[in-house]
Amino acid sequence: MKLAPAEMTGKEADGALFRRAASMVHSCDRCGSCLTVCPLFGVAEVEVTGARGKNSIVRALAEGGVQPTRAALKAVDFCLLCRACVEICPANVPTDETMIDVRQHLNDLLGGPKLEYRIVGGILKRPGLVSAAAKALSLLRRTGLGRLAPHGMAPEEFTRSRFLSSFAGPAALGGKVPSSGKTPAKNSPVSYFHGCGMEMMFPEAAAQSREIISTTAPLSERKNVCCGLPHLAHGKRQDFLLLARKNMEIFADDEIVITDCASCGATLKNYGSFFSDTPALKKKAEEFSKKVMDLTEYLAQTAYQPRQKTNAVLTYHDPCHLARGQGIADQPRELLRKAGNFIEMNGASICCGGAGSFHIDYPETAAKILLNKQKNIEETGASLVVTACPGCLIQLAKAAEASGGRFKAVHISQVL
Amino acid sequence: MLSNDIVQKIRDVVGASNVLDTDLDLFGYSYDSSFVPLVPVNKPELVVRPLSTEEVSGIMAIASEKRIPVTPRGAASGRTGGSIPLKGGISLSLDRMKQIVELDERNMMVTAEAGIRTVDLYEHCAAKGLFYPPDPASWKFSTIGGNVAENSGGMRAVKYGVTKNYVMGLEVVLADGSILQTGGKMIKNVTGYDLTSIFVGSEGTLGVITKVLLRLIAMPKKRGTLQVMFASLDDGCRMIHDMLQAGIVPAASEILDKTCLTIAAERRNMKIPGGAAAAVIIEIDGNDDAALDSQTNQIRTVAQSCGSLLFRAAASQQEADELWAIRRGISSAISTLAPDHFSEDISVPRDAFPEVVRLIRKIAEKYGLLIAVYGHAGDGNLHPSILCNTSLPGEKEKVHQAIEDIFAASLSVGGTLSGEHGIGLTKQPYFANAVSETAIRTMKAVKTALDPQGLLNPGKIWI
Repeated sequence: MKLAPAEMTGKEADGALFRRAASMVHSCDRCGSCLTVCPLFGVAEVEVTGARGKNSIVRALAEGGVQPTRAALKAVDFCLLCRACVEICPANVPTDETMIDVRQHLNDLLGGPKLEYRIVGGILKRPGLVSAAAKALSLLRRTGLGRLAPHGMAPEEFTRSRFLSSFAGPAALGGKVPSSGKTPAKNSPVSYFHGCGMEMMFPEAAAQSREIISTTAPLSERKNVCCGLPHLAHGKRQDFLLLARKNMEIFADDEIVITDCASCGATLKNYGSFFSDTPALKKKAEEFSKKVMDLTEYLAQTAYQPRQKTNAVLTYHDPCHLARGQGIADQPRELLRKAGNFIEMNGASICCGGAGSFHIDYPETAAKILLNKQKNIEETGASLVVTACPGCLIQLAKAAEASGGRFKAVHISQVL
Repeated sequence: MLSNDIVQKIRDVVGASNVLDTDLDLFGYSYDSSFVPLVPVNKPELVVRPLSTEEVSGIMAIASEKRIPVTPRGAASGRTGGSIPLKGGISLSLDRMKQIVELDERNMMVTAEAGIRTVDLYEHCAAKGLFYPPDPASWKFSTIGGNVAENSGGMRAVKYGVTKNYVMGLEVVLADGSILQTGGKMIKNVTGYDLTSIFVGSEGTLGVITKVLLRLIAMPKKRGTLQVMFASLDDGCRMIHDMLQAGIVPAASEILDKTCLTIAAERRNMKIPGGAAAAVIIEIDGNDDAALDSQTNQIRTVAQSCGSLLFRAAASQQEADELWAIRRGISSAISTLAPDHFSEDISVPRDAFPEVVRLIRKIAEKYGLLIAVYGHAGDGNLHPSILCNTSLPGEKEKVHQAIEDIFAASLSVGGTLSGEHGIGLTKQPYFANAVSETAIRTMKAVKTALDPQGLLNPGKIWI
């Protein structure tokens, strides 16, 4: 596929992305509301780790008070993109979007994304790869990425974690997208979007998703490519745009595209906002996005009855990309109430600290955030913590292990 | 520049990880929530985050020996540049000092470290049925030390007063590092000067407040929220005036003008009847539902007599919370309406509120500027906010003249420059108009006595 020059917005033209970011942070009046909800400020406590600090850095970058250095890039990189600040901000400053734009800007200025993101990004870009995502591990090894393994770390474990590192943080997208609002017609065919994270890390849960969907409607099989989020988040915008167009073609004839990954869903539903330069493509992308439904959104719409009801106590963790990214919080709870004894935990919508590559890049901070999550889960007495995002599931599985088996972490398709 | 030797001494006092010196970290402590521009950057040379009074004392001893400026900082949520380290030196961030030292239920008093967030202190006391009423709009993120240093007000001042009405005593580290205890748990105390009052509202220029002793009252058992809409700001002002004259004192009564209403409608889905140009949001409290019902009925009667277009009592806590969230967020919300935003904080005798609002309208017309008005109509403190674009030719000058006129208007009706934000940097040029020469001389005498080297928050209040 060849992109026309207007679509080649991978490298920002004339600093347009940065200007957009600077204008977005201009509304920040530094009141400090965000500091009460920012999970990073909550554990690091230092001004530049909070949303207010990072937005001020962006503004000062634009006004010449802060220089575009590696340190500045590191500061904007230290963000979960969880949108908690966006939700509470009286001035509606989209901190997540600004961070993405400024990362791209500084990456372009200072020289590309980190090596490992470039390699993994390249692999994920190969057409049709996602259907073969399980093979990615060996691909990763063949690229020689294993050589980067730090001493003492098993190569497989390392490559798995590096694979994960290519996934973007919670937002990395435009603003919150409205629920699809689709009402699936009875027995009309639906398609399933194969997410890299689900296929790679949780193939058994992905299989469960497909099985559940197939009990509600005829399921068509498509060989889609990666949603593009990892590329977008790590400064490879061109690749993202290519992948987006490919997916739009692959699902051109479908009515409903269901995903069981919160991050894929939020990305796919946002395609339109990335083609604003080309009206025809934008329209096409928006039409595609309207077809996309999260698994829980779809099941709630079709009044799905879980296959069994257990006596187990279940609690739910909101993925940032689902609750704040897509406004889907009631549907998974509604389904879980039908599937077991649902109990709400404190701070269910606070980011788990996974945030794509964040937990690899900043393990100590991520661990502190996760420990708070673990305590909240343990307080409920639940034996299962359920979520709807492979990135969160990785983190929650770590928390489950740390809790010494007091609870297990599962994908929502595994209990429905 | 601070020498390596001095920096090492400071590290020895608070621990190396509590001293920040990278360029970006210093930038992070260069601003607050005022409209003082981010650039040129007012960077401190060092950020120091002590954990105890003793550590603060150790830092001040070094600072006074080496003549290093020190600017105390809570959450940097101030609106006048109070915590901006104008002369470099040390930004003394008290955010790690956040312990409740004692909740004395029998005497209904609480002792807390300065860095605790006001909301956390409030909730700690509320859990025992005790009430700390002052609630500046920033109470969820500002610190109690900052509230005391600025003598913060808030929505509930109309019935319950402001921060100073609750401060019974303080622990203050003086410029030379010595530790001063003022006041105590005695309701009556005339043993010497009232030193506590000297530090309340001193904006970090006289000493570093490290602990506060606050008086509490019994928590009202019931609260209600009312929302009333009017066709004009004048009607809204009149309603609040009539209500207070009739002896009905709500816990809070806030007014919003049409500009504020429009943004609230847009951002928060607030429903607004056609023709509404002002909203009054009222909190009532009491010991039982009957007390609330009686107040609600009385207020409804007054509202109707002033031509209310809508009268609504919040049906749930969630609805009430949403109304107050609109009010608390309004300053930041309206700031998105224009590239620049200058919010003032004038305070007038309660009776002069409608008059000063009319004067502000005239100023807006005179300069062709959009000035949004909202504030604590019940206590005479209001926030006229000029929404403008200073990159347009001549706009900056117009704005400055308008601000001058607003202050003049306030003074002309017997009011003053600041009700709850303090003077800091942003109100300095107008300070001398608001207080007498003798008052300034007296204040400076206090300053010189307590901080002879001028190290504490230098460059603030007076020019």
